[in-house]
Amino acid sequence: MQGKKYIMGLFKDEDQVVSTLAALKESAYQFQRVHSPIPSHKIMAALSLKKSKVGWFTLAGGILGLISGFALAVYCSVEWKLIVSGKPIISLIPFFIVGFEFTILFAVFGNIIGLLTQTRLPSFKGMTHYDPRCSGEHFGVLATCEAGQTDGLKDLFQKSGGEIKVFE
Amino acid sequence: MSQLTYASIDQTVLNTLSRPKRYYWAIVAVLFLGVLVGAACWTYQIFVGIGAGGQNNPVAWGTYLINFVFWVGIAHSGTLISAILHLFRAGWRNPIARAAETMTVFAVCIAGLFPFIHLGRVWQVMYMIPYPNQRLLWPNFLSPLMFDVIAISTYLTVSSLFWYTGLLPDLAAIRDRSEGTRKKIFTFLSMGWTGAHEQWRHYTRGYLFFAALATPLVISVHSVVSWDFALGIVPGWHTTIFAPYFVAGAIHSGLAMVLTLMIPLRKIFKYENIITRDVLENVAKTIVFTGLIVGFAYATEFFIAWYSHNAVEIEQFRWRAFGDYRWGFYFMVLCNTLIPLLFLFKKVRTTVATLFIISLIVNFGMWWERFVIIVGGVAHGFSPHAWGLYAPSMIEYGIMLGSFCLFFFLFVLFAKHMPSVSMTEMKETLEHGGSHAG
Repeated sequence: MQGKKYIMGLFKDEDQVVSTLAALKESAYQFQRVHSPIPSHKIMAALSLKKSKVGWFTLAGGILGLISGFALAVYCSVEWKLIVSGKPIISLIPFFIVGFEFTILFAVFGNIIGLLTQTRLPSFKGMTHYDPRCSGEHFGVLATCEAGQTDGLKDLFQKSGGEIKVFE
Repeated sequence: MSQLTYASIDQTVLNTLSRPKRYYWAIVAVLFLGVLVGAACWTYQIFVGIGAGGQNNPVAWGTYLINFVFWVGIAHSGTLISAILHLFRAGWRNPIARAAETMTVFAVCIAGLFPFIHLGRVWQVMYMIPYPNQRLLWPNFLSPLMFDVIAISTYLTVSSLFWYTGLLPDLAAIRDRSEGTRKKIFTFLSMGWTGAHEQWRHYTRGYLFFAALATPLVISVHSVVSWDFALGIVPGWHTTIFAPYFVAGAIHSGLAMVLTLMIPLRKIFKYENIITRDVLENVAKTIVFTGLIVGFAYATEFFIAWYSHNAVEIEQFRWRAFGDYRWGFYFMVLCNTLIPLLFLFKKVRTTVATLFIISLIVNFGMWWERFVIIVGGVAHGFSPHAWGLYAPSMIEYGIMLGSFCLFFFLFVLFAKHMPSVSMTEMKETLEHGGSHAG
C-alpha cells in the first residue's frame, strides 16, 4: 500500500499533547493538526501560532460602518431638507449615533467574514481525518507518515500515553 | 465544581436533550395558547384600529412602550454576562452565559415587536426604511425614534451572531454524539467545526472582538432607548441621567430574569454541579450593586427636581410620590432597591427559594418602574387642564400575556433542543478558570 498514512494520537491531557508535539517536531513525521474540545493556551503556545488576522476584517468593517452610517444620515437629510428645532440639516452629534451603531454592526459583519474566511467554514473536508471524541474529552494529534513508518509513529503516540486511531 | 470532568459535563448537558416527556409538551402547548391569545389581540387591533388599546390623550404611550422598554432591559444582562464579564475574565459567568445569551436574543425579538404593535397601522413601518419612495420622503435621523430603529436592529443582529458563534463548538459536540436525523441537523448547523487548532486560533480572536464590540453596543442601545424619552421636553423625561439610569435598570432587570430562568432550569435539568450556589450568589451580589445604582437614580431625580426650582418638575415628582400612580412608585422603590438589599445577608443570597422569590419581585418592580416613567411623564405634563389618567385595555393585557408566553415558549423549546449550558466554556473553566479569549 502506497502513499501517506494518517494516524491520530488521542490524549486526555493537554500536557501529554504538548510533549507529543515536541517529540513530533524532532521526528521525521509530518504534523498535520490538533483537534481539541477547548481552545488550549498550552497547545497554542507549543505550536508557536501567529496572531490571527481576523482583527483586520473587524477593523475594516468598523471603518466602513462609520463612514456608511454617517453617509446614510447625511444623504437622507440632504434629500429631504427638513429643519427640526432649528438644528442644521447636517447635524454631526445626532448623526454620530447612527455612525456609532453602524460601526459596531459592520465591524461584527467584518468579524464574521474574517472568521468564516480564516477558519474556512463552512467546510466538511476537515471531518475526513477526525475523531468524534475530540469534541468530548480527547485531544487528537493528527500526523502523517510514509506507509512503512506507521509503527514508529504509533509508538511515538503510545509512548506519550495516547490511544491510536489509524485512518484507512 | 471540583467533581466535574469533561465527560460529566458532556453527559449532564446531553441528558437535557433526551426525548421530552408528555408534560413538557403540555407546558409548550399552554404557552403556545398564550401566544395565540396575544396574536389574536394584535390581529383584532390591526382590524379595529389602535383605539382598541387604552392609549389616548394625554397618555399616548402605554403598555406597548412599557413592554418594549421592559423586554429591551431583560435583553441587556445576556450581553453583560456573555461580553462584559467575559472581558473581565469572570469565570462564574460560564455556566449561565448560554442561557443568558439565549434570553437576550428572544427578549430583543419580543421587544422589537412592540413598536410595530404600537404603530397601529403596522405596514406604515416602511417609511422608516431609507429607500427612494414615491413621496420622496426620507427618514429623519435627528429623531431618537430613528436612532432606536438602528440601535435595536443592530443589537438583534449582533446578539444573534454572538450567540451562534458561541454555540458552534457545542453544536459540533452534539453532532458527534447523535445519530440519524439529529446528526444530520447538527452536522449542518455546526458547519464542519472540528476544533482544529487553526479554527481555535481564529475563533478565540474573533470571539474576543465580538465581546469587545458587544460591550459598547449594549451600553449604547439602552442609552438610545432612554433618549426616546430624554430628548422630549416632557417633565419627568427630560433629564440627562436617563442613559446611565436606564442601562443600570436594564442590567438589574435582566439579572433578575437570569435568576428566574436559571433556578428552575437548574432544578429540572439537574445542573446543580454546574450552576452552583456560588454562581447564583454572584448574580445576587451584582443585583445588589445595580439595585443601588437605580436607587441612587430615583433619589437624584427627586433632588434635581427640587434643586432646579422648576415648578413643573417639582409638581411632577410630588405627584409621582403622592399622586394617582403612587403605588407604582412605591412598588419600584421597594422591589428594585430595598428588597434586593436583603441579598446583603449571606443566608438570603445562598437560599435558592429566596433568590427565586426576590428575582420575581425585581422583575415586577422593574415593570412598574417603566410604567411610572413612561405613563407618569405624559399623564401629568405642563398644563393642568391636559392632565389625565390611563388604564390598559383588555387587548393590551392580552398582548402583554402573549409577549410573556412567547418569551417562555421560545426559551422552553430552546432548553430542550439546544445545549442550555456551554459545554466548551465549562470545560475551559475546569482547565483555566476563565473563558475562551485570544
